[in-house]
Amino acid sequence: MYDEYSNETMLDIYVFETEQLLEQLEQLMLNCEKETGFTSEAIDEIFRIMHTIKGSSAMMMFNDISNLAHSMEDLFYCLRNGKNEIADNSFISDLVFEGIDFIKEEIEKIKNGISADGNPTALIEKIKIFIKDLQNDVQFPDPGIKKAIVETTGSIAQDTYKSNPEDGRAPPKHAFKAVLHFEEGCEMENIRAYSVVHNLKDITSDLFHIPENIIDNDSSKDIKQNGFHMCFTTDLGYGEIQEVLMQTIFLRELILEEIDKEEMERISKNKSKPYLVSESDEKPGIHGEKLNNPGTQKSKTERETPLSSGHQNILSVDVAKLDRLMDLVGEMVIAEAMVIQNPDLAGMELTNFQKAAQRLDKITKEIQDMVMSIRMVSLTATFQKMNRIVRDMCKKLDKEAKLVIIGEETEVDKNVIEHISDPLMHLVRNALDHGIESAEEREAAGKPRYGTITLEAKSSGSDVLITVRDDGKGLEREKILNKAREKGLISKSDSDLTDREIYNLILLPGFSTKDNVTEFSGRGVGMDVVARNIETIGGSVIVDSAPKSGTTITLKIPLTLAIVDGMNIRVGKSLFTLPTISIKESFRPNAGDTFTDPEGNEMIMVRGNCYPILRLHEYYNIATDVIDFTEGIIIMVEHDEKALCIFADELVGQQQIVVKSLPRYIRDFKKIKGLAGCTLLGDGSISLILDIGGLIYGWNVN
Amino acid sequence: MIGYNVRCNLMARVLIVDDAAFMRTKIRLTLEKAGHEIAGEAENGLEGVAKYFEIKPDVVTMDITMPVMNGLEALKEIKKADKNARVLMISAMGQEGIVREAVMYGAKTFIVKPFTDERLIQTVEKMLSL
Amino acid sequence: MADIIENTGELEEDTLKGRYLTFSIGNESYSIEVRYVTEIIGIQAITEIPELPDYVKGIINLRGKIIPVMDVRLRFKKEPREYNDRTCVIVIDIRDISIGLIVDTVSEVITIPEQDIVDPPKMNKSFSNRYVKSIGKVGNDVKLLIDCEKLLNDDEIESLNEVL
Repeated sequence: MYDEYSNETMLDIYVFETEQLLEQLEQLMLNCEKETGFTSEAIDEIFRIMHTIKGSSAMMMFNDISNLAHSMEDLFYCLRNGKNEIADNSFISDLVFEGIDFIKEEIEKIKNGISADGNPTALIEKIKIFIKDLQNDVQFPDPGIKKAIVETTGSIAQDTYKSNPEDGRAPPKHAFKAVLHFEEGCEMENIRAYSVVHNLKDITSDLFHIPENIIDNDSSKDIKQNGFHMCFTTDLGYGEIQEVLMQTIFLRELILEEIDKEEMERISKNKSKPYLVSESDEKPGIHGEKLNNPGTQKSKTERETPLSSGHQNILSVDVAKLDRLMDLVGEMVIAEAMVIQNPDLAGMELTNFQKAAQRLDKITKEIQDMVMSIRMVSLTATFQKMNRIVRDMCKKLDKEAKLVIIGEETEVDKNVIEHISDPLMHLVRNALDHGIESAEEREAAGKPRYGTITLEAKSSGSDVLITVRDDGKGLEREKILNKAREKGLISKSDSDLTDREIYNLILLPGFSTKDNVTEFSGRGVGMDVVARNIETIGGSVIVDSAPKSGTTITLKIPLTLAIVDGMNIRVGKSLFTLPTISIKESFRPNAGDTFTDPEGNEMIMVRGNCYPILRLHEYYNIATDVIDFTEGIIIMVEHDEKALCIFADELVGQQQIVVKSLPRYIRDFKKIKGLAGCTLLGDGSISLILDIGGLIYGWNVN
Repeated sequence: MIGYNVRCNLMARVLIVDDAAFMRTKIRLTLEKAGHEIAGEAENGLEGVAKYFEIKPDVVTMDITMPVMNGLEALKEIKKADKNARVLMISAMGQEGIVREAVMYGAKTFIVKPFTDERLIQTVEKMLSL
Repeated sequence: MADIIENTGELEEDTLKGRYLTFSIGNESYSIEVRYVTEIIGIQAITEIPELPDYVKGIINLRGKIIPVMDVRLRFKKEPREYNDRTCVIVIDIRDISIGLIVDTVSEVITIPEQDIVDPPKMNKSFSNRYVKSIGKVGNDVKLLIDCEKLLNDDEIESLNEVL
């Protein structure tokens, strides 16, 4: 069972790490494209990333991924060791991106438990051909022979004959013949053989071996089949030599035989070119592959900010655990309320209790804040993902556009990130597909050739505003109106809708003005799904546009979803909660303060200003005895600088509430206007949380 | 005469040096399962050298390709100060040249990715007796 | 009723196959597969939610979890009846959606082998039959086996079209 656990962990880690590396790689590539070139640091890092992916994929037996990574590694090895005058950066970019996409897809399959059955052969072929072409341009070495490249820095790589010692030492006492067989599949047998020779050098003289050349890798096959044969003289006895040789790791079989001087002579004479270990071999001038040591070689060219692997004090936490922690904090808040507001305590002298309760409350709040902040993640990763999309779409649609990102360091709850990622992608795609015109059209219209898409995030009060803005051709008002009418989404009497209201029609289900369904958007399932996704997290979408100038889509998302200060109110038998932050004031009105305007809307005067009144009992059709304004309570709420007066029966009390969304079954039915969710009160009853923004907006539209 | 490898059953204190979290975890789980102790981990050669002198492990598993300082350089540093250090190079196919150099600089032996759990365990255990 | 209130959550799926929980609405009795049932509770305070069809009565607090409740009588387009202390809520869980079904009474859990289950007759077009997936023969009795998915997903509009 331990194996199962460790296998799953390994898979999780493999997926996580590979995804991270791919993200890094993608960013790196996009940066290189911007800078129109591959710096040597970039090439190095790309090489290393491919190398790592190759290794771990092989360990996990995902051989297709490993092979693809291997060929990419070869490509970058080539580039690294060449003179770096690469002509075709764009082609290389495309190759790499294709590779990234392939591996991403395979990882997705792996994550979902499907077998990774993608076939990278075509892409690998493309890469191989490209490498070959590079080599025809003689500057680039053949990765296939990279192992054998030998730099001669003055010393000799090949073994040379070493004559008998000249210093008058006595000739060695013994001579031996040895055959070593290495374990099956231990790989690099030639290097293992070299290792043996290396270990013997100090204690032997006159060493011969077959195969003679253990530097080139072809000898590995020979050694695998026939074993590694050696012949040497030494002062050490049989036992000692045997001990030394038996220490060879991966040794499967050793055959050791002492031989006499004559046989030794014979063997040495039979060689036309004797191969011996020479001292000059030990000089560190021999490199099979030159390793860049980034720590010691600083590039003089301008450095882009290198993407570090983030060696900060950061912990990776399972999101499920965080969710559970959040739930527990929520339960703690409710439990605390149930203790402090316990009916058993009514009417008791509670000074010490109050003090202790306050301390408890303070600590609870701090835990809440901490947990919330742990879950907060910056939008950087999400926003940066859009770079790739802009790049790909520009290529496919043959348009020119750049992405401007503002405020990416803004943080939102992790849960939110998951819900806005896809919508944002859709919005960016839309902007490029429908918004930004082709370069020629733009020039004709007097605009810069390059379209600009701005992705901005900023916090405003208790919300985060994310805007996707393009300077394209804007939405076509008439087209939208017509389509909406066609699909019966609006009735004729709504013909005096404001521009904004018309633009927001595109959020309705089943809407699409694109006649052809393109690959990316226009399917009519896009915008309404975007709206739905945002609503799921309690947010809203607003569409605005200026003909010929561009379109702006604003996503308004509540900052913290979970725990807010709430004011509980009652209407009939129903309980509602308003976020305290949106309450301006509350009061019981006097008879003369309220009136009805010419259109039949009830209004109230407050310090010289007029506000509309929303009767909650009418809005939600709730039975109550409190109909007269003077018998109930008016709560003035505000959102986005618009105010509304809500009429309810009475205020019940203020408390910290844990926002829970309405059950999925109900959410799937429809979005109930004015409701943001529900919460459990201290006594176990349920209160519905009012969505102030929704109420105000809905009120204004009507 | 014919000889065979002998399996050694002492417990090793191991230092894992590799920039890939995946490999570090893989090696750790494999060796712990076989009863060995992971005395430390490092993400690059420089850290590896520092950790080596801090914790003085019985065996070091050393990846080759790493940022900041690669495995070969780290090996050299470690061997300079402790000529008896037992360093196991973790290599990938295609790195014969570097492995050879590592052997020259005193790496006890090497294994090639992808390797089986068995191979890793056997190699580490064999190294203990050297 | 105490003897019927069981929490079937811990049993293996396999042992629940072919087992049905029977409940009644007025004089008619229906059955649903036990494997969907997570618990059976008595009726409790319901918080109403506006703008929903009449058969979605609202939501309840089930030990901290907020789940919606459906009045099966109204779903079957029968006359509504006041709740009393015999009224039960059968909590079911399908594809991660939890919902409580308000029924008049709950009677028993029975086993109906596959071979005793047949398709419903096509002739009778009374409304509640929309939700009957099949018929189970138990001795001389006939049990109407409810299709839980349809109960949850069937759109009013569609069903009206069919009836017309």
